[in-house]
Amino acid sequence: MFNAEKFIETTVADLKKTLQGKTLIAFSGGVDSTVCAALVNKAIGKQLIAIHVDTGYMRKDESAFVVKTMKAMGLNYRFVDASEEYYRALSDVEDPEKKRKIIGEKFIHIFERVAKEEHVTYLVQGTIAPDWIESGGALRDTIKSHHNVGGLPEIMHLTLVEPLRDLYKDEVRKVARILNVPVAERQPFPGPGLAIRIIGAATKERTEIVREACDIVEKEIEAAVEQKLMEMPWQYFAVLIPIKTVGVHGDKRAYGYTIAVRSVQSIDAMTAAYSDIPHEVLDRISRKITNTMGAKVNRIVYDITNKPPGTVEWE
Amino acid sequence: MKIYVVDNGGQWTHREWRTLRDLEIETKIVPNTTPFTELKKDHIDGLVLSGGAPRIGLDSPLGNCAEYLEKAAFPILGICAGHQFMARFYGGEVKPSIVPEFGKTDLTIIKEDRLFAGVPHQSIVWESHNDEVTRLPSGFTHLAESETCKIQAMRHQQKPFYGLQFHPEVEHTEYGEQIFRNFIAVCQK
Repeated sequence: MFNAEKFIETTVADLKKTLQGKTLIAFSGGVDSTVCAALVNKAIGKQLIAIHVDTGYMRKDESAFVVKTMKAMGLNYRFVDASEEYYRALSDVEDPEKKRKIIGEKFIHIFERVAKEEHVTYLVQGTIAPDWIESGGALRDTIKSHHNVGGLPEIMHLTLVEPLRDLYKDEVRKVARILNVPVAERQPFPGPGLAIRIIGAATKERTEIVREACDIVEKEIEAAVEQKLMEMPWQYFAVLIPIKTVGVHGDKRAYGYTIAVRSVQSIDAMTAAYSDIPHEVLDRISRKITNTMGAKVNRIVYDITNKPPGTVEWE
Repeated sequence: MKIYVVDNGGQWTHREWRTLRDLEIETKIVPNTTPFTELKKDHIDGLVLSGGAPRIGLDSPLGNCAEYLEKAAFPILGICAGHQFMARFYGGEVKPSIVPEFGKTDLTIIKEDRLFAGVPHQSIVWESHNDEVTRLPSGFTHLAESETCKIQAMRHQQKPFYGLQFHPEVEHTEYGEQIFRNFIAVCQK
């Protein structure tokens, strides 16, 4: 079995040897990057600079939460709000692979800018096994380009270090629990964020809609888990499908988007089964979304696809 | 106990590595271009031929996998493309599936074998294939089937070589870990 204590010990020792200078870490606030930051912090302390970018595609109040976490961990940190820049770059991009590439490149450009200002030599990323496996390579087909791998521009002027490369999420969580990291049980959230939970162009208007819908799905499912109505899913969220359908709202015709509810069980995201959400919970989610979002959304569907043939995220 | 995983480019190669590691086997992922002499130098007790990039089970050479099958005295477990290659190597036939299988599938064991010790007659396995073995090579025994794919498992009658169309390495295959334990037991001999 995977031995988390031993992993921490050897990784911190290795990082001490490898990182001979200032180091930047891409800090999304998820389990992987937070664990990475904690490890590097143990190894080199204040030589580490954590950077968090608000792409505009973060979940509700997420960036504020991330800044709070970085502070609580005593990290040297920088916060960059690049949301308007991201919305502009993606306003008419429909192809999911292009979206991921643009988002990845922008991340790197921002990191490089900060790296220059701070005279940094190394970039640490919380890449884990499924990220590089699905991103393809010499033999492997590209399922999707994970922003922290496939989106990297060819020439990066920083040395990349990925301490969690051979780990799966459940193992990262074990490490997180031992390190006492506050986000050990958070559900995974993709680097490109809500941009890939909007099918088609990820405009600001659609982002606001899916952000609200995601928040509702999360809160309702967490409440249902608390009430023991269902098992905690591996991942649970909303997807905006840019198909408008007709509804009737108070004797008035409505014409709004469709929201898909996605929730799956898995231990490592390499395979996944759709969650068995009780009907009463689905019903609550459906009513809450349609009642809060007015004419913008008037149809809710539930995704009952396993992985394979589907993937967890839609893009 | 040392069992290596030959990487043919599958999505789940790393899962095979992980399952073996979790069962406390000394393991490593090696490229399929590794010469047989190098594997021999490491004194391995068994080998897993991973699944592959799309469609390579159909007609590609799969690196040095032929050399491994030709020369190995240790047990070999071929998975998906690895299984299809094994069938082709011994004169069987691989063709595009009429019904490709992705995800959850019911497996039926039709002939008992130590590889399936402790696995019920019917169980759930996960699949991911566009091609399949359509004719069993001579000298092999047919071990398991699903509704839409006949040759889900086979074994060589003289050598400890096995082929599986489904994926025992993924979490959602009900008895996947048991199958790996059984393969390890085969390697222990």
